[in-house]
Amino acid sequence: MRAGVSTAIGATKPMGTVLPAMSADLLRVENMRVVFPTAIGRSRTVLHGIDLSVKSGEILGLVGESGAGKTTLARSILGAPPVPGRIATGRVMFEGRDILTLPEKQLRSLRGRRLAMVVPNPRGELNPTIAIGDQIATMARVHLGLDRKGARARALEMLKAVQIPDPERRMKSYPHELSGGMAQRAVIAIALICDPAFVISDDATSGLDVTVQAQILDLLRKLAAEHGSAMLFITRDVGITAHFCDRVAVLYDGEIMEAASRNALFLSPAHPYTLLLLAAFSHNSALRRGWSMTPPAPAPAAVEACIYAGRCPLAQPLCRREKPPLAELMPGHVVRCHFPVRR
Amino acid sequence: MLTVEHLHKQFPVAGSNKVVSAINDVSFTIAPGETLGLVGESGSGKTTVGRIVVGLIEPSSGAVRFDLAGNANNRARPPKGKVQLVFQEPAESLDPRLRIGATVAEPLQALAVDRSEWRRRVRDAMALVRLDLALLDSYPAELSAGQQQRVGVARAMITEPDLVVLDEPTSALDPTARAEIIDLLKRIQAERNTAYLFISHDLSTIRFISHRVAVMYLGMIVEQGDAATLFSQPQHPYSSGLLSSVLLPHPDLVMESSVSLKGEIPSPIDLPPGCFLASRCPFVIDRCRAARPPAESVGPGHIVHCFRHNDVAATTPASKTFEAFMAEAERILARPVSQPIRFTPQP
Amino acid sequence: MHIARYLLHRFAFILPQLLGIVLVSFLLVKSIPGDPAVLMLGPTATPDAIASLRAQMGLDQPLYMQFVLYVNHLLHGDLGTSWQTTRPVLDDLIQRFPATLELVTFSLILAIAVGMGLGVASALNPKGWVGRLADIYGLSAGAMPDFWFALVLIFVFYTLAHWAPAPLGRLDIEVIAPAPVTGFMTIDTLLGGDMHAFRSAVSHLILPVLTLGLINAGPIMKMTQSSMQKMLASDAGRYEMLCGIPQRLVSRHALRNALPSIVTIISVLYGYLIGGAVLVEIVFSWGGAGQYAVQGVLNSDIYPVLGFVLFSAVFSLIVYIVVDLIYVLIDPRISH
Repeated sequence: MRAGVSTAIGATKPMGTVLPAMSADLLRVENMRVVFPTAIGRSRTVLHGIDLSVKSGEILGLVGESGAGKTTLARSILGAPPVPGRIATGRVMFEGRDILTLPEKQLRSLRGRRLAMVVPNPRGELNPTIAIGDQIATMARVHLGLDRKGARARALEMLKAVQIPDPERRMKSYPHELSGGMAQRAVIAIALICDPAFVISDDATSGLDVTVQAQILDLLRKLAAEHGSAMLFITRDVGITAHFCDRVAVLYDGEIMEAASRNALFLSPAHPYTLLLLAAFSHNSALRRGWSMTPPAPAPAAVEACIYAGRCPLAQPLCRREKPPLAELMPGHVVRCHFPVRR
Repeated sequence: MLTVEHLHKQFPVAGSNKVVSAINDVSFTIAPGETLGLVGESGSGKTTVGRIVVGLIEPSSGAVRFDLAGNANNRARPPKGKVQLVFQEPAESLDPRLRIGATVAEPLQALAVDRSEWRRRVRDAMALVRLDLALLDSYPAELSAGQQQRVGVARAMITEPDLVVLDEPTSALDPTARAEIIDLLKRIQAERNTAYLFISHDLSTIRFISHRVAVMYLGMIVEQGDAATLFSQPQHPYSSGLLSSVLLPHPDLVMESSVSLKGEIPSPIDLPPGCFLASRCPFVIDRCRAARPPAESVGPGHIVHCFRHNDVAATTPASKTFEAFMAEAERILARPVSQPIRFTPQP
Repeated sequence: MHIARYLLHRFAFILPQLLGIVLVSFLLVKSIPGDPAVLMLGPTATPDAIASLRAQMGLDQPLYMQFVLYVNHLLHGDLGTSWQTTRPVLDDLIQRFPATLELVTFSLILAIAVGMGLGVASALNPKGWVGRLADIYGLSAGAMPDFWFALVLIFVFYTLAHWAPAPLGRLDIEVIAPAPVTGFMTIDTLLGGDMHAFRSAVSHLILPVLTLGLINAGPIMKMTQSSMQKMLASDAGRYEMLCGIPQRLVSRHALRNALPSIVTIISVLYGYLIGGAVLVEIVFSWGGAGQYAVQGVLNSDIYPVLGFVLFSAVFSLIVYIVVDLIYVLIDPRISH
């Protein structure tokens, strides 16, 4: 299914950007703003009004460096921003309703069953005193209403599906007995056992060996295709998204800078930050220097300035005065820039 | 300059008689001013090799010889400061209670350098890594990860080493910081003729910075040779499989390979008698399980440990993917020469 | 099997540990001012009588000699004689130690029930009324002296309400004590088939158990509350929430993971209370081992003190071994 149009219309106002209702969107994030309290009475905005949409069967990649807000976004979509963050504004439209307005109990029944998350550092997040077979089976018991035997059988099926070696024995293993790759597979089994419609994968493959990573990506893609799920694939590694995702969005300091179909983003990138990321991977230092700029002494950023202006080699006076909206450069290709690069 | 011969290292397993064979018969050399990239996944033993070269760990058997500054007496222990180490996690390798200036100056203590010299040498080291001298009074927590890693490099370079062992120096960094550190390292090598033993699992970085590459699997070097040649035509199934998992940020460019490796790396405690890859290798034959493949030379300075290396080379044509990618990158990423055009979105 | 080997290992260490404990206690007790011979003979004693008694008791020997002699006797099962009761210390303790143990055990059961119950409830609802109640309870339990609380309870329930029996020991005066099998009044009366005595024993236990139980529920509650909260806020706890696991299941898992800390504090309390219950024992005239030891300290009667130290040390060590075994069972990460 080819990527549809995801447009932010008009509005130089930083807030209140409205997306047209697209019936084919499976999940849509509208203007999500997440703040973290820093000192007493003060707070820091980590996500500044994020707009995203993913269609059924689509894999949307989200690329960002550390501190850009990737994990905050992933967890906020499920209504559970990392403590002590708080969702200040925003809607998450899923299956026709804003799930952020749901009471906690209903939200819990959605999580894991229709909206699942694959977490990074699985050995730190799995319960250390429960065997993984039981942890996977618990999902089936809680969400699918299976009895103990049925749930265990289903868990074993999932372990086989994620290609864990020696699955019967591994049912009784504890998280600390697993290698990184195996723990990651266990977490994928937990995420997919209930056939969720939407899967968020937060940095699920960093820290894994390259060969294991390749297998896990294949596995995710296969399972997503089989179950018809859509996926939000969050990562620091731009290279993965070029081959694994249908559409890719670039996140910088809590704002989406560019989003396009995979080919459009990699073959005709428009935002200077995207170009910097790609240049960094090309190992061509001359190219990279062309796109990077040592930030001058930090000036207090005006609220109405482009958030990237301090580092942008193409910055013009307008960029420091007026914040560009996320707007459609070409069909299906949005960019947040006053002077995007065009071919 | 550095010669490593038939290195073995076993670690005892707590609570039993078994041993972990971390390194099994590793041999390589590094010439002055050269970079040898040591590639491998977890359990390959590459970190242990680095530690043995620096002298932090004693090998179980085998020889490590240094021939520095033309000293032909092949000393086992290099003069102090001539071999240095840069660590993976910059935040963890810098003492959080020491100011940057003190951290960078630390190695000078071991060298018994006169205190009056310290200031000058610290300034030189900071200039070498292009860090602002104002940072000398800061604490590590105030620096970004990229800056912290530069401090790590400054600390290593202050003793003017001939060889620097870098153990995954960029794995904890973001892509932009990573690229900057690699640039820095290349520049230092050009200026000071420092040799590097660059240990990493990041293949595209290795390809860029190394002159020669050694691929390790379960403590053995399975293939070694010139970087460009090895990357374009690997002759060992493991090297080939490793390369096929590299994902370049270009949707049309895929690393061709006949090998996709399934399964997990077996345990280094009970190593099989034959080739270590036999359980996962698509080219495996009975002979592979019976005996370890010896070194075979397939080109100048290029050796492979595989009985069927000819078949491996034959099934995959020489890859020009990396070169193609570099060319494409230049095309796509060229800075626009014309004036920037204002983009006004239609309401 | 590792468990058997582990147990053997631990038991082998008990003897050196005990020797160390006895040595330290011996030195401490010997440093108490006061000459036992003088106390025994009274104010009218002559210096000669005192000297000969001292020689008889071995008090004129050098310190290390006294210690060696004492250990020698220990190895023969002789814990010395109390000059106050004029009976072997071993017999005294066999009679009194179970009294304390019975009191402490029942109190601890109550403390666990109240402490963990309140701890879990307040960890789940930190801002609700349960949370407030738990905070106030924790503060009061920590601030109140146990003997004072005992006296308050006696005043309310005996003096005013006449519900509780008089605080004069473990049984009503007219009730005949059962044949001592375990030393636990409740068990022995049941074994003897004497229901009247059983009811008497239980009614006498109520107030002291309430005292010790409610006061010591405080630390258990605090530990339960903080461990639970830590588990709920941990990465693993948040992950379960992200997977949509319902709150009661998440709480159950959190409690399981919090158990090691809670079990630790319970075991420490258990060992401590053997001696720490002494004030309550005195208020209720319980005739327990703590009382016995305190009398020994006040009267420079060293053998009861040392005997008591030995008994409670062995008890504590056994408790710790059992607790370590429990750890192995509940936490799969600990596999030696």
